[in-house]
Amino acid sequence: MVYTKKHPALLIMGVIFVAIAVLAGTGAADGIIGFLKAKKYVGEMVGMGYAFGAIGVLIGAWHWWGKHEEGNLDYYMSSIAGGIFILLIAMVVRWYGAPLVAVASKGLGPVMGAKYLHDVLGLNYVVLGILAGIITVNVFGIPKWAENGVRLSRLGLKTGVILLGTLYSLAELAALGKLSAVMVGFFVLGAVGMVLWLGRRRKIPNSMGGVLSAGMGVCGVSATVAAAPVVQAKSVEIAYTIGTILIWGVGCMFLFPVIGHLLDLGHIQFGAWAGTGILNSAQVAGAALAYQPDGIETLKVAEIFNITRVLFLPIIVLWLAVWYVRLEETTAGPQVNVGTVIFEKFPVFVLGFILMFALSSTGVFAPAQHYKGKYFDNDIAAGKLLKDEQVATLGAEAGKLQRADRKEALASLIQNRKVMTIDDETVIRGIFNANVLSKDANKVLKTATKVVRHTAKKISKFRQWITLLFAFGLTGLGMQITLAAMKQAGGQPLVIGGIVGTTKAVLSLIVILLFVSETI
Amino acid sequence: MNPRSILLASHGSDGARAAEEAALDLLGAGGKLFHLVVVPDFWKGMTGDDWLNNAVTRARFGKYVEDQLAREIGLEVARLARAAEQRKIAYENGVSLGKPADCLAEAERSGTYDLVVVGAPRPKGTPGLRSRMTPETLVRALKTPLLVVPHPG
Repeated sequence: MVYTKKHPALLIMGVIFVAIAVLAGTGAADGIIGFLKAKKYVGEMVGMGYAFGAIGVLIGAWHWWGKHEEGNLDYYMSSIAGGIFILLIAMVVRWYGAPLVAVASKGLGPVMGAKYLHDVLGLNYVVLGILAGIITVNVFGIPKWAENGVRLSRLGLKTGVILLGTLYSLAELAALGKLSAVMVGFFVLGAVGMVLWLGRRRKIPNSMGGVLSAGMGVCGVSATVAAAPVVQAKSVEIAYTIGTILIWGVGCMFLFPVIGHLLDLGHIQFGAWAGTGILNSAQVAGAALAYQPDGIETLKVAEIFNITRVLFLPIIVLWLAVWYVRLEETTAGPQVNVGTVIFEKFPVFVLGFILMFALSSTGVFAPAQHYKGKYFDNDIAAGKLLKDEQVATLGAEAGKLQRADRKEALASLIQNRKVMTIDDETVIRGIFNANVLSKDANKVLKTATKVVRHTAKKISKFRQWITLLFAFGLTGLGMQITLAAMKQAGGQPLVIGGIVGTTKAVLSLIVILLFVSETI
Repeated sequence: MNPRSILLASHGSDGARAAEEAALDLLGAGGKLFHLVVVPDFWKGMTGDDWLNNAVTRARFGKYVEDQLAREIGLEVARLARAAEQRKIAYENGVSLGKPADCLAEAERSGTYDLVVVGAPRPKGTPGLRSRMTPETLVRALKTPLLVVPHPG
């Protein structure tokens, strides 16, 4: 079979990308970019516009005019059109759509305290990208020439998660890992058990209870896909379950950020809540980026929860397999091989995440002690040492400090004219955050800490790529959410799913409000 | 009306079974029944936004759903074939993937029938999947008289 379609679409998209780059690069689009307050994206518009424009034009010309023969080259090259299609939608939304929504929203004035409507509803490039994907598939359908490449969105998301591994410190990963193991362990197992219990009380077939419990408990449609063959779910049961989960997941993706803003949750709290309460893992990432579009701290927390959840998947599939065979007292079902289930269901991309984390810890991308891509290094030029008058300002106020550690850190700074250790730097940050010294002294302290803090360029690039990969992946996944599938929701699965989903979301929120602080 | 050849759309739901019964009654011995089973195209999007599973798991799920649908259709076909045989009605069947109204119109165009028979959508509150049949599309496309049999519920 030849997968490449003879169609000018890819060529046209390539030309559009180049046009965006030219307009942004030459300043011809300055008026509209200024109106949209989108100047921060000009670099992306030019860089990505030329890069992907060139790919689109070259491969697009081959698609349209070239000779295609069955084989690997045809298969892989055919996917480029779909990939560029997703990317074009995602980037047009990021560069123009989301800024336009922000301008319109700001025009309405604040709606909740100082927050604007688009902040409260989380209407940023990620959520709008998912919406654009959903609208594309449901209103226009995925064009034939793009069908093969739309699947690249999964690769984009998995690559994004792998790169995310570079951004964690060991302490952070250990703390988040423990928290997520406890939260996910309790709520996943609790939700699975609750669905099975409710299913029995409401007399639904075991196969339906099994497939619904996996979907509601672990990671939505992904768990349903993994568990359906094991519990021998009927087609109608699969349709009901996936419809229910999709409706619930899409609803949560929009609702969670609003509730998060209403309760003023911190990034860790929101990431932990979304990672526990939202069923579909893609929508967890969507909600995290919706909550914090200009940073990825929330996404970092949410993804650790996602990874923990997906590590639970083989366990749940095994549990359901044993449960189903025992309850149905049948040997007609598929033979369950523990090794095969674990091998097949184990998410290989998690190994990539661990590998990137390990590499990052060795200092390949940034010094090993980096935190959020920033690291301490006081080997600075003589010109950056504190000046005499700055030292005098600090010296005059040293008596205001009471705590011994603060006195010591300040004395060391005054003596050496620079921060000497990472611990001193933490203490000095504490001094200016505590606001015990004058404004001038605080300014000197900030300068002193700033010159010993460096941003790792590679980590900075990774952050940018992670954001783009998630925007790409989530827009593509939006293209796979069909209303026809959601409309299949109904019957007992909708009732049971609604009860369990709401219970999980509310209880996890209460637990997070009570026990999860903003410092990890 | 005394149809000798009927095109019946049925997938085994309560409404469809009422349509089957009506079609068999109308035909009687010596009649010809073509039984069309439509697999709605929403199944193409039934992996939704899954992105965590690897290709093996996704392929296994796809194969499982295909086999499951085939098994369920096989049971329906066997049941109706037996009922037709008992009444000495010639029975044939076909399976289409797509939008039910389009598939039914396509089946009608590829054969010669005196009547097309379908079941009515289930009344609100009755358990079952949402009907994907769009009556207006169907009525506009058909050139053969259409009988919609009331739902038994």
